[in-house]
Amino acid sequence: MTGRKVFMDFAVTDTSHTLADYKARGGYQAIAKALRDLEPEEVTKEVSASGILGHGGAAFPAGRKWGVIKLNDGQPHYLCMNADEGEPGTFKDRWLLEHTPHLLLEGMLLGSYALQGRHSFIYIRGEFDLAYHRLADALEEAYAAGFFGENILGSDFSCDLVIYRGAGSYVCGEASAMLTSLEGKKGYPRNRPPRLTVQGLYQKPTVVNNVETIANVPFIMNHGSAAFKAIGTPKSPGTSLISVSGHINTPGVYEVEYGYPFADFLTNECGGMLGGKALKCVIPGGVSTKVLTADDIMPLTYDHTAFVEAGSQVGSQGMIVVAEGTCMVRMLQVMMRFYHHESCGQCTPCREGMGWLEKISTRIVAGQGVASDIDRLYHISGANDGTTICGLGDAAGYATVGILDKYRHEFEYFIEHKRSMYDGRLEVLIDD
Amino acid sequence: MIEFFINGQPVQAATGQTVMQAAVAAGITIPSFCWHPQLSVPGNCRICMVEVEAEGGAWFDISCNMPVTKGMRVLTESDKVKELRKDTMQFITLNHPVDCGICNKSGECLLQDHHFAYNGMPSLSRDPKTHATKFYPLSERIMLDNERCIMCSRCVRFTAEISKSHALGVQNRGDHSLIRPAADVNFDDDAYSDNVIDICPVGALLSRELLDHARVWYLKATPSVCPGCERGCSINIWHRKPEWKLQALDGHLNTRIDRITPLENPAVNGPWVCNKARDLARIFERERAEQPMVKGAPVTLEVAIRSAADLIGAAKRPVALVSSWGSNEELAAFHAALGPSFASYVKADWVPQPGERVEDDVLIKPDKNPNRAAATALYPALPENVTKALSDDTDLVFVWGEGAPFADIPSSAKVVLLTSYVLPENARADVLIPISVQTERNGHYTNFQGVVTGFERCFLKKTTVVDAQPLFESIFSASAHMAGAR
Repeated sequence: MTGRKVFMDFAVTDTSHTLADYKARGGYQAIAKALRDLEPEEVTKEVSASGILGHGGAAFPAGRKWGVIKLNDGQPHYLCMNADEGEPGTFKDRWLLEHTPHLLLEGMLLGSYALQGRHSFIYIRGEFDLAYHRLADALEEAYAAGFFGENILGSDFSCDLVIYRGAGSYVCGEASAMLTSLEGKKGYPRNRPPRLTVQGLYQKPTVVNNVETIANVPFIMNHGSAAFKAIGTPKSPGTSLISVSGHINTPGVYEVEYGYPFADFLTNECGGMLGGKALKCVIPGGVSTKVLTADDIMPLTYDHTAFVEAGSQVGSQGMIVVAEGTCMVRMLQVMMRFYHHESCGQCTPCREGMGWLEKISTRIVAGQGVASDIDRLYHISGANDGTTICGLGDAAGYATVGILDKYRHEFEYFIEHKRSMYDGRLEVLIDD
Repeated sequence: MIEFFINGQPVQAATGQTVMQAAVAAGITIPSFCWHPQLSVPGNCRICMVEVEAEGGAWFDISCNMPVTKGMRVLTESDKVKELRKDTMQFITLNHPVDCGICNKSGECLLQDHHFAYNGMPSLSRDPKTHATKFYPLSERIMLDNERCIMCSRCVRFTAEISKSHALGVQNRGDHSLIRPAADVNFDDDAYSDNVIDICPVGALLSRELLDHARVWYLKATPSVCPGCERGCSINIWHRKPEWKLQALDGHLNTRIDRITPLENPAVNGPWVCNKARDLARIFERERAEQPMVKGAPVTLEVAIRSAADLIGAAKRPVALVSSWGSNEELAAFHAALGPSFASYVKADWVPQPGERVEDDVLIKPDKNPNRAAATALYPALPENVTKALSDDTDLVFVWGEGAPFADIPSSAKVVLLTSYVLPENARADVLIPISVQTERNGHYTNFQGVVTGFERCFLKKTTVVDAQPLFESIFSASAHMAGAR
């Protein structure tokens, strides 16, 4: 069975993001129930039992992350929601932030209760303006209604929530850089060890969760882990929001159940390829995941197991659909410009490597490429694999290697003929 | 202690040590740029990457941030490690201008050393280098070349963790990152700022004083002690090697102090010194007293010494004002020669100058004399009210060094002055004997903690200048001879 929803089960209206509407949909019942009937450990146990995988890109089991935190160890614990959604092609968290801010606040309350966090934080991408204001207004409503502050709903649990706006750096979406930025410092990722669950925000045990991960928690608490597990596939329980863009008819954010066939997704949700073009390839989960050709992806179902077996990842769930006739050399150049611009400059391989990758790809596009450039791109990507502090260097390497593995012939053609295999504008807009 | 293995060799590590720390303690070299024993671990240069052999397959990580675990097997010279180092060196030199020929750091540059040791290849890049600011004046003392900078962040961490001025930071991102002074802090106010020049592993941070003045391979470092305060930091005084003496240029360039760097001494100053130590040339290279005088008239050294001995021999109530800049050896010679017959007091040769930092909790101590501890162990300090020491019947004042209260010396008293510098108050002296400065002799100072450190001679003194130690011995024998004759 497919098509069950966790989030998108209500009609978006002008008021659907308000507290009144959220309560009418049954909001804030999970936290009331948890505060009344459950111990913090039981909340963590329920989330662990649901098997929910993180939705930020690494697909780490969220319950296991929570379980690492030792309650009653005499130090503060922090829960931080990572709403710094910056992966190119990914905009699914934005939908949640703009349309279901109270769902996220309830999720944060449940998480804070489970981790016994007195203060929790939401780090929101600076460019999200509507989302920020919706969230800030929702928080104000929630405070007024007694869902935050001292002795929430008459219990002895107190929690304050701070919303912090980022300043537009991609790397601040990396958990440790986000915490460093939250502390008011330059957003540099940190070396591990220590893990963030040991020394995170202000050197205290910290859990960083993605927006969508947190958004699942009220559902799990309301309906139980068994009900959650019943959705999706055994290895990938639940649903996933997919933000899809590119050469399709109806780009947007869609909630699909894990296990949904990609072919159906392309036809139904995406409305088919734009202008009836043939599918060339799909970047499945933000540009940092390896590209999948049409042949690779068409037989797949949308879940972690299938995508990993195909040599890529579900990643940050931002899908870019690419039509036949697109030049992959130029695409790599655009991607490398992004990584170069967003490299934080802390550690050597990424700081120097990203600029080098962009220079080489730009030179190829300018018709100045030489045959050894392809090997050099591989070499730089390889030297970034596992050698950097955070994952940005690895991600750029994956993206480069992914494109080079599948479309090496386009690069060879470009270098030899000093022009693209696909000259001219991609004509897709055929209707009026 | 935990035992583990580096390249198969058993190494002992203390609990909590990283592989890098344990390796350094065991004398095993792992290359590094950003790692510094006194600073926090940023792990950003990635050159110290090592391999760890494990059951599930080898893994790689930076040794500076890798806690030692019992029995772990670390490889620092495996093929894969060497390959990673080579790649990292390629990255580090990618946008570095490699202008060693005109770089002041050349010859003592960690990047040069590591390049020859771990890469040795020309750049693989065909693309133009990223350009950045050249010659950015970071302060009155320091010039920054952003193109040479490899973003190790040592200087930023130094100002944040050691000098606590928080005067430096990083601007921009990626390969456009720039070291820049913080907007609201004046780096000139950091009394330790010049240490960033020493810890810079490349030629990005340069002393404006030394810039284009000397190449380090013409210079020689002589171990010495900073006389700037009672801390007595160990320093290296860099001066021209005798075999590279300049023939055609100004002669004094052969005997000037080219620069001063800290000499690591864990008991006293660690690897740091303050900016005052860097500026010792401003003390030692003042106009030197080189002409012995008797009653304002130039005489030979022998005549001056004999005149001094005569005065000493004739004095009934002599007072000595002992230098707090004299070495332990000189103080001992003074004590043996003149101590019994003189009422001796220790004076402060040097007092804090206007604008000078008097004291802080890093290195700087309030007493601006290097050997007051040893001197006051022998004699009392000159009282605040000088007349308590110098009464009207004082008939001879023996002044050793600077800073004597000449105004309070009774006009009837004779003055024998041993000094190194031409100063207005020298006119008061009945006998003036020029003595050598610290850079012209060997000796030891005892600092406020009681730590004794030695300094060595850098330059030859003029023939009309005498060392204080043999002087005391000869005055003693001369005046003793006269006393015997009387």
